[in-house]
Amino acid sequence: MRNMARRETPWYKLDNAGTLYSAIQREEYSAIYRFSAWMTDPVDPALLQNAIDRCMPRFPGFAVRIRRGFFWYYFEPNTAPGPYLKPDVADPCQPVRFREDNGYLVRFYYYRNRISFEAFHALADGTGGLVFFRTLLAEYLRLQGHIIPCGSGLLDVTEAPRREEREDAYARYAGEVARAPALIRRAYSNRGEPEPFYTFHVTMGFVPVDQIKSKAREYQASLTEYLAAGLIWVLLEKQHRERPHRERPVALAVPIDLRALFPTDTLRNFILTVQPSVDPALGPYRFADIVSQVHHYMRLHINPQELRALFTRNVRYERNPALQLIPRPLKNPVMAYNYRTRGVRPYSATFTNPGVFRVPPEMEPHIRHMEVVLGQATVARPHVSAISYGNTLEITFAGTQRDAETERAFFHFLVTQGIPVRIESNRRPGGSSKEED
Amino acid sequence: MSYCVNCGVELNSAASCCPLCGTPVLNPRQKADETAPAFFPTRRAEVAPVSKRAMALLLTAMLGSVAVCCALLNLVLKPHIPWYLFVVGAAAMLWVWTVFPLLARKVPLWGRLTLDVGAVGLYVFLISLALDGGTWFRNLAIPLLALSAAVVFSLSWLLRRGHSLLTTATMSLIAAGIFCLGVEACCDWYLYSGFAPGWSLVVFACCVGLCIPLVIIRRIPSLREEARRRFHF
Repeated sequence: MRNMARRETPWYKLDNAGTLYSAIQREEYSAIYRFSAWMTDPVDPALLQNAIDRCMPRFPGFAVRIRRGFFWYYFEPNTAPGPYLKPDVADPCQPVRFREDNGYLVRFYYYRNRISFEAFHALADGTGGLVFFRTLLAEYLRLQGHIIPCGSGLLDVTEAPRREEREDAYARYAGEVARAPALIRRAYSNRGEPEPFYTFHVTMGFVPVDQIKSKAREYQASLTEYLAAGLIWVLLEKQHRERPHRERPVALAVPIDLRALFPTDTLRNFILTVQPSVDPALGPYRFADIVSQVHHYMRLHINPQELRALFTRNVRYERNPALQLIPRPLKNPVMAYNYRTRGVRPYSATFTNPGVFRVPPEMEPHIRHMEVVLGQATVARPHVSAISYGNTLEITFAGTQRDAETERAFFHFLVTQGIPVRIESNRRPGGSSKEED
Repeated sequence: MSYCVNCGVELNSAASCCPLCGTPVLNPRQKADETAPAFFPTRRAEVAPVSKRAMALLLTAMLGSVAVCCALLNLVLKPHIPWYLFVVGAAAMLWVWTVFPLLARKVPLWGRLTLDVGAVGLYVFLISLALDGGTWFRNLAIPLLALSAAVVFSLSWLLRRGHSLLTTATMSLIAAGIFCLGVEACCDWYLYSGFAPGWSLVVFACCVGLCIPLVIIRRIPSLREEARRRFHF
C-alpha cells in the first residue's frame, strides 16, 4: 500500500516559469530556444535519429505533451512515435503548436555539419536543455564508434531517470518572505518594424574567447557583464540617435541560473532574471561607467536571499487558492497582460549567456563550435544570446524586426574595441525574402 | 576572407554584401564564392497565413450562399411571405461588418463606424418596411442607433492612443452608464412623450460609484502600484 501511495502520477504540473510560458503561448509566438553544435564532419541523419531514440527515454521531462486542464496546463508522458529528425529550416525557432509533431515540444534538425535542438521553454531552461543536448551529442558520437565516457554533465542513457531531475525547484526553495522586483516602469523599447512571425532573422557573431576575455578583464568585469554593458551602450547610443522626446532608461533582462545558489539536480526551469539598467536622464555615461554599473549591480543583487524572495512571490501566486479556482481561459489573458507590463515594457532587450559548453576531452575534437538562438520576443526586437566553446564565443541576435541596426551597432562596437568578429546571418540581400528550395 | 568596410566585421566567403549594413563586398583579390554552401539553410518551413483578400472571398461566398439558399427555400416554404429578405439583409449587414474591414485599408475610425451603423440602420429600416413600422423606426430605432454610434465613437476616440487598464475601465463604465440613460430616455420619449429616469439612473449611479475609486487609484501612484500587485496586473 505504501508503495502504491508513493507511486508517481503520470502527469505533473508545470513549474512557475513554465506556467507563464504556456500562458503567453499564441499561434504566432512561443517561448522557445535552440542549441546547435557545428560538428567537424557532416551529420549522419540515420545515426542521429537513432541517438535521439536512445536519449528520449532517459529524459522523461522532454518526452511529454502539454494538456489544457480546466484550471492549469499540465504535462503528461508522450508515448506517440517521435520526435523525428528533420532537415533544418531557414527561420529557426518557429512557434510550437501543441497538437503538431505528435504533441512533442522538442524538435531536432540537421544541416550540413550542424545538429540543432529546439525546446519549448516550459519544459526546461537552458541548463537543462544543455544537459540533454550534450548527452545527445555524446550518444551520436558513440554510435559513430567513438568512445565517450559519462560524467562531466553527460547522463548515462542506459540508467533509469532520477526523480530529482524533474523536481520543481522553485517550490522546493520558496521561502517565507516574498518581494516584488523593483522594476523600471517603461524602458526604451528598441522596437523595429515587424516582419511576419514566420520570418526570423538570425545574425551570429563569432569572437575569440581569449581576446574578449582579456578586454573584459581590462574593465575588471566578467564576460557576461562586459557583453551586457556593451549591449546597453549600443542601445543608449541608438536611442540617442532616434532623438526621442524623452530618453528612457535602457534595461536588460539577464536570466540567472539559480542552481549555483540553490543546489538541485532538476532539468526543468530554475532561472530568474535580473535587470541591469542605465538611465540616460541622469547624464552622459562613459562605457567604463556602464561596465562598472552592470558589474556592481550583478554583484549586489545576485544573492540567495533577494532571489529567493523574488521567486517566492511568484510561487505564492501559483499557490493562491483564489487564483487556482479561476479557470485557465480567464487566467491566461491576465497573465499575458502581466507579462506585457512586467516582462516586456520594463526591458529593452533580453541577454542570456549559458556560459561555457563543457564536454569530456574525448568529444572535443568532434565539435567545431556551438550556437545558441533565443526565440522571438513578443515584440519586434532582437533577443541576444551567447555561448562559448573552446576559443570561440558565439553571440546571436535573433528577432522578427526588419532592420539590423542593433546587431550592426553591437558588432561594430566590438570591432572598435579591437576584437575581431566574424559574421554569419540568414538575412538575404535586399530584404527579408529568402530563397525557396 | 572579406571584411565590411563600414562595420569592420569579417564576412562569409559567399557574401556579396554585408548582412548588417548592406554594403556591397568588392574584394578584387577574392570574389564572392557563390557556389559555396550557405551557412544557414534556405528551406522555409512555415506557410504564410491566408491573405485578407482570400479570407474576404471566403466570407463573401459563405454569406452569399446562405442568402441564395434562403431565397430558393422561400419559393417552397411560405412563399406568400418574403422572409428571405430578412436573411439577405442580415447577410449584407454582416458583410459590411466583417468583410469590408478586410478589403478596405486605412479607413478612418469614423468612416468604419458610420458604415457599420449605416448597415444596421438599413437592416432595421428593411424590417420596419416589411412590418409596416415606420413610426417606431423614426421615433425609436433612429435615436437609439444615433445614441449607440455617438457612445461608441466617443469611447473609441478617447481611447485611441491606448490607455491603462484602469482608465479604459473607468471610461467604459461611464460610457455604459450614459448609454443606459440614453436608452431609457429614447424609450420614454417614444412611449410617454417625456423622460422620467428610473432603472437607468440606478445603473448610472452604480457606474459612477465604481468609477470614483478607480479614478482615485489611477491618480495616486502608491495605490495604483498596490492594485497592480494585488490583482497581478
